[in-house]
Amino acid sequence: MKHLPKHIRPRWRYLAVAIEAAPDAEIDRGGFQRALWYAAGNLLGDAGSADADLTVFGFAYADGIGEAIVRARREETDAARAAVACIDRVDDQPVGLVVRGVSGTVRACEESYLRGRSPDSTEDSVAFADDQRPAIRRDDVAEISLPEGFVAATELDFH
Amino acid sequence: MYEAVAAYPAGDSTVSRQARTAADYGYDGCVVRTREAEFDADAISDRYGIDVVGGIEVDAADPESAAGAVGNHRPECPLLLVRGGTDALNRYAVETDRVDVVTRPMAGDGDFNHVLARAAATHNVHVEFHFGPVLRASGGPRVQALQGLRKLRELVEEYDAPFVVSVNADSHRQLRAPRELRAVGEQIGFTADQITAGLEAWGAIVARNRERAADRFIEPGVWRGRYEP
Repeated sequence: MKHLPKHIRPRWRYLAVAIEAAPDAEIDRGGFQRALWYAAGNLLGDAGSADADLTVFGFAYADGIGEAIVRARREETDAARAAVACIDRVDDQPVGLVVRGVSGTVRACEESYLRGRSPDSTEDSVAFADDQRPAIRRDDVAEISLPEGFVAATELDFH
Repeated sequence: MYEAVAAYPAGDSTVSRQARTAADYGYDGCVVRTREAEFDADAISDRYGIDVVGGIEVDAADPESAAGAVGNHRPECPLLLVRGGTDALNRYAVETDRVDVVTRPMAGDGDFNHVLARAAATHNVHVEFHFGPVLRASGGPRVQALQGLRKLRELVEEYDAPFVVSVNADSHRQLRAPRELRAVGEQIGFTADQITAGLEAWGAIVARNRERAADRFIEPGVWRGRYEP
């Protein structure tokens, strides 16, 4: 179909979303899009969800950290932000999400708010809770493997 | 703005990891609800530039045991929370001046009414708006939590009771930035200013209690000055 003249095309805003999950979590673009639609449908309802028109535009994820660009209608950025905040799990993996910023173009969104990947993670052994424990480290943070599961810690907790 | 979090061993993240994430999200401070958590508040403040406050959340089965715990822990912490969730505990908490915050009053069988709201205003006990189920639950439990929040909000507005807002994060992944909370709040009927006020109230309680614990403090409005030995 012929595309719309410029003055009646919808205006979009692009939300830069930072994603954080467990280092062994597998998250893909489809799963994130599904979680976003469910969150928007449940919080905003069908009508609000259709108004916000949320779409995942860019998605990059590996080893527990990732970034996504979510497109929303210009007037609905607050609703979009609320829907993003209500994503608790993607493919049954707990995720932490934060909106780093909102831009008018994908390019400005990437350049202003998404900084690319942090240094890669390394496997290491750290002293925590009176013992040496295996851990996955990145920057100054670590996911320490304990018998009951992973514990998220920082360098300040090693002793 | 402050946020109140649970930390390892009660949660999946240590205090420093929660504080690091909270600082990244733009909070000024982080209240730790878990009494067993071990941390060095000064080291975390220096490293991540965020105020870390060790609080205690009393989780008792009935008002009698809660009263014992409140008496034991009040002198040692700048922030004392009592977990509500039953009518008896809610009533005990809002009528006790020594309690700073009653948490999750609407959870489980708990309910709130005009009598409790008025008591909370009289005794200056902050009522917590627990945003956890709004962000993390779905279906029936979430609907009930939203109904509870609405009822609580209407009572708090009517009787001008003090309140705080928290998401009760067990892990740093459950934390959400203040701006996101404002957006969610607006979707469920709060105003953005209410959410901001609720997050700032944590800091105000901590500042007041620290002032009261200072050596120069005698009673509200009275300080040890140059004429006191």
